[in-house]
Amino acid sequence: MSQEMEFKNIVAQYSKVKTEEMTGEMRFREDLGFTSLDFMSFLGELEDTFDIELDENEVTKITTLEEALKLLEELQ
Amino acid sequence: MEVIYYMRNYYPLTAAQKMHHNWILDYGTQQVSGVSVVASVQAELDFGLLKKCIQMETERSSCTRVRFTKPDKEGNVKQYIEKQDPRDIELKDLSGMESLAKADELMQQWAYETFDGNNIPMCEFTMLKLPEGYNGFFLHMDHRLIDSCGLVVMIEDLFQLYTHYRYGTACPQELVDFETVLKKDLAKAGNEKRFAKDKKFWDDQLDALGEPLYSDIQGPSVLEEARKRHGNPKLRASDIEMNELFVAVKDYHLEPYATQNLMDFCMNHQLSMTNLLLLGIRTYLSKVNNGQEDITIQNFISRRSTHDEWTSGGSRTIMFPCRTVISPETDFLSAAYEIQNMQNRIYMHSNYDPALIVDEMRKRYHTPEHTSYESCYLTYQPMPVKVENEMLGTIRQHAKWFANGAATKKMYLTVSHTEDGGMNFSYHYQTAHLEEHDMELLYYYMMRILFKGIAEPDMSIGEIMEQV
Repeated sequence: MSQEMEFKNIVAQYSKVKTEEMTGEMRFREDLGFTSLDFMSFLGELEDTFDIELDENEVTKITTLEEALKLLEELQ
Repeated sequence: MEVIYYMRNYYPLTAAQKMHHNWILDYGTQQVSGVSVVASVQAELDFGLLKKCIQMETERSSCTRVRFTKPDKEGNVKQYIEKQDPRDIELKDLSGMESLAKADELMQQWAYETFDGNNIPMCEFTMLKLPEGYNGFFLHMDHRLIDSCGLVVMIEDLFQLYTHYRYGTACPQELVDFETVLKKDLAKAGNEKRFAKDKKFWDDQLDALGEPLYSDIQGPSVLEEARKRHGNPKLRASDIEMNELFVAVKDYHLEPYATQNLMDFCMNHQLSMTNLLLLGIRTYLSKVNNGQEDITIQNFISRRSTHDEWTSGGSRTIMFPCRTVISPETDFLSAAYEIQNMQNRIYMHSNYDPALIVDEMRKRYHTPEHTSYESCYLTYQPMPVKVENEMLGTIRQHAKWFANGAATKKMYLTVSHTEDGGMNFSYHYQTAHLEEHDMELLYYYMMRILFKGIAEPDMSIGEIMEQV
């Protein structure tokens, strides 16, 4: 499974939007229905799944799927 | 007769379950872990069918079948899930009572009852015929089995089952297995790398800010008294009531238009209501404690984010200290963002066991037994108790939470949304120390602070405290 697909599968656990309907410009809160708790839990899940360290002050600036995916790629 | 044997799996408690379990141990009564609710509709019900649906629900929601083993020497228990719960469901006829309010008073008494014993069911349904044409059921459970969000999901599922069999509506989807999610939670808690990150976050706070400082709803005299009692003029924690646990409840209703103003402010500034409420409480505490800047409030979080977490029942609500140091020069909006920033970081580390934070503080600061740094506890419940079901349409409902009557906390505020678009502020306060007047003051000033702040978000916290 590609990293992008794995990433989208994690997003799908938190959202009603199906993986095949997800696009890069979708915003976590407005388009995918994430609450603050969902978003921060999701970031924790990313850290554990992809074995990365996120900067807690920086991650709150992420708004779209594309931004999160790009950050994930940069950290690996 | 064929006898079927099955392997029973025993599991330790999760951090959220342990929180309730530790309260039971500390206070010596299961009453502190009780949760009760009535769900009813103003319509005739087929009680034979309702009974069948309740029994099906206990099959579907396996958390209702959780039992606990006999405690070991340290008081620790294991949990397991009983394969079946074949108990009959009692029907009580209260329809002859004078009013629904009188029936509520009786149910409030039921909510004080305890589940005493090991390896016994910790969940009890009672079907009810109520006054004023209402019919439904009362549900009494142990909080180690389920939290309020889990209860709302389960009650909706039960009503969907009923309308499916009664009126042929769509059958509700299968619920996610509680045991599967429990195993995942326990595995997550056992992830050493995650644990180390969470511990570092909480330890870093203490490294940066030092020992917290107690702030009481009634002002600095409470801490002063504690200092005298302990013979320690530098004590920063105050005593917790351990004997007289009775709580009274005072509810205040915030009108829909005023609620909408708060919600609009949150929406326009990308703030969550929890953080706005935390700011309201902390500003009040600062005001009545001579402008104290270092304030900690315990905030409850319902750790339900994924689809599996939402539909598997269980007890996922857990409280963490939200500590902020905010100077009086800080403007209202910036203060709200400071709280939001702190809360977001707490969310990321909410798999941690909060008992470990308390242990760390005891180790560092030698905090005396049965003392605390917090007097206020907050739960914000965005979910209404109202059952969402297409068949119920405009049928009137009566749903109500009942306090277990024994709070481990001095003041516990639950804020929820009401059917009319307003909000309900429900203050549970220990009568050993607080009176209704204290809650009146707290609500009055909280509202004054919040509405002053949202009207003039550039105004400093210090000015707001002076003006309200």
